[in-house]
Amino acid sequence: MAPRRGATRRRFLQTSALAVAGLGLPRVLAAAAVDLKLKKPIKIGCQSILSGPLGGYGEFMRKGAVLAMDEINAQGGIGGSPIELNFRDEELKVDVGVKNARYFVEDWGADFLIGIDSSAVALAVGEIMPSLNRVLIVTHGATEKFNEDLVFKRHVSQCFRVCVPVYQDGIASALVAKDLPVKRWATISPDYEYGHTSWKMFRAYLKRFKPDVEFVGESFAKFGTVDFSSHISKVMGLNPEGIFSTEWGGEAVTMVKQAKLFKVFEETKAFMIGMGSAMDVLQGLGADYPDGVWASGRYYFGYPDSPENKRFNDAFKKRWNTYPSYPSETAYTALFALKKAVEKARSIETEKVIAALEGLELDRPAGKCVIRKEDHQAVYAVPWGQIKHDPKFPMPTLANLKVFTTDEYYRKPPFAPVEG
Amino acid sequence: MLFQGLVGLSEAMYLWLVAAGLSLIFGVMRVLNFAHGSLYMLGAYFAWVAFRISGSFWVALVVGPLLVAAAGWVLEFGFLRRVYSAPEAFQLLLTFAFVLILDDAVKLAFGPVYQSPPTPAALSGAVRIGRSILPTYHLFILAVGGLVGLGLWFLLEKTSFGLIVRATAADREMARALGVRSSRLFTGVFVLGAWLAGLGGALSMPVRAISPGMGEFIIIEAFVVVVLGGLGSLRGAFLGAVLIGLLHAYGLLFMPVFELALAYMAMAAVLIVRPWGLFGVREA
Repeated sequence: MAPRRGATRRRFLQTSALAVAGLGLPRVLAAAAVDLKLKKPIKIGCQSILSGPLGGYGEFMRKGAVLAMDEINAQGGIGGSPIELNFRDEELKVDVGVKNARYFVEDWGADFLIGIDSSAVALAVGEIMPSLNRVLIVTHGATEKFNEDLVFKRHVSQCFRVCVPVYQDGIASALVAKDLPVKRWATISPDYEYGHTSWKMFRAYLKRFKPDVEFVGESFAKFGTVDFSSHISKVMGLNPEGIFSTEWGGEAVTMVKQAKLFKVFEETKAFMIGMGSAMDVLQGLGADYPDGVWASGRYYFGYPDSPENKRFNDAFKKRWNTYPSYPSETAYTALFALKKAVEKARSIETEKVIAALEGLELDRPAGKCVIRKEDHQAVYAVPWGQIKHDPKFPMPTLANLKVFTTDEYYRKPPFAPVEG
Repeated sequence: MLFQGLVGLSEAMYLWLVAAGLSLIFGVMRVLNFAHGSLYMLGAYFAWVAFRISGSFWVALVVGPLLVAAAGWVLEFGFLRRVYSAPEAFQLLLTFAFVLILDDAVKLAFGPVYQSPPTPAALSGAVRIGRSILPTYHLFILAVGGLVGLGLWFLLEKTSFGLIVRATAADREMARALGVRSSRLFTGVFVLGAWLAGLGGALSMPVRAISPGMGEFIIIEAFVVVVLGGLGSLRGAFLGAVLIGLLHAYGLLFMPVFELALAYMAMAAVLIVRPWGLFGVREA
């Protein structure tokens, strides 16, 4: 029997989150620009991974959401109503994610839902959104099936996403890889939707950009892998020149540390990690992060060099005493997107908010972005870069940033199938 | 090929250290300690703290497991002792509660971020044969796992403490009737089991990301190992861990699609043929 996290633990997380949310509520709300006279708080249910070896992610998401709540409430809330947040642990499990969404809407009375780290959970929760009839803004789960199939092809219009999809991991990565002196690629990636779909896209697009590449092998590691030695040993036996990986969180930290022991960074010419610039990985590896590793994320704190990004970084550091990770930015953006859409729609009715979100332009920390009408996907560019140890920062940072335009790497409607 | 097996074996050694304590505790005390994976996690965290203070991996490797042994003493003396006569379900509830409490305790104390000190320079090298590479650290783990195995064998087979442990495991009532003070013995065994798990955790510190909840994955595999080898049998725990390690390493190589299922298939097969495990004792 695997130990299961029981109701008590969720209750604990939930009450502590409510306590945090309560503390953040300013006693007197500033005058709001738009007053909807709702006479109730706007309740937003947030879920993310809050426990286990990947729990650092959810924690960064929570920090971003709480910061946004504080700022929005200080500005008079959304349409004159303060925001109330409730956090639940998604546990990266489909049944738990669906249960959380139902709880939020049916029991707690959520007006909106945000969050979700796992691609599979995002798809499953997306499926029930028509019956719950609330707007869901995904802040991390990245599968292209969410925007391309669920929203564009099947018109599940309640679903939105403010983080860049696997186009970042599978296509922008191929744009970087095509200029690297590597012909033989192999992967060590997670054995679930995100890992498989990213590797498939990377292969299809890199083959298109550079037809003479070879893909020599793959090793997929289950969720909860504590040791990557066998995977590394297997893949290195295939003599690759480059390693592509979409491991994330603590698993990325373990994989890189062990790859170092296996001399992978000496034996290969390039190493790419799609989620390698997430703050938890940068901080977790610290001095152990080899220089030159190619890494990206769904937002990088050092990009772009804009007043809005600087303001977000300063506010985040002041509030939490750490640099923001990308789930912080995407959760922060999700709440501001809701504010803007609700005030534009002058209503919290789902249909009206959907219409207001479609085509909405946002000036977010990650840059200017527009939410595409066709597939409800926020379109903005995130750089890839190489790990560098800069003494000015307490953790490794990215150098040699490669920024592509969204035109270059975002797939567009009607979304031709990915061959390969 | 050969190296892939050695890599699998080295992964098995962490599992062996956790499973050894789990099996020992069950064998003597008949308590299934769900919190054993959390003791592994504490080993990593305590070693990390010791490393931060001393700057030495070797000091951390000694101090970390000793601190876990002390925590084991608190757990046994302060809590478990009170539920020995209670139904098994209460013991499970108590140890499971400790999984949740310890996870959240380290989260409160250290935050949810991943910690990972550098691998000691002396163990950062690698052995090469042709294109195959085996890190020195993995050889070191193999050596430690083997030494602990020898040490446990000596302790159980050649000392009076071992004699009492074996006698109690074989027949608790008879041992008690002959004057074995089971309360002291139970504390000793639990502390030893905690030390073993702590050693596993301390060894993992420089090569695996340390995070709250890291014990939950190893405890599941450790249960598989212990069931495979036979509850209460150390030899079984060792061979069970080795079997799981090899199945994992070669499974990845030859049948990656089934690799996840292999360990459970092995467990199911053993349970069908020998429900008491490979080296377990058939309950009368």
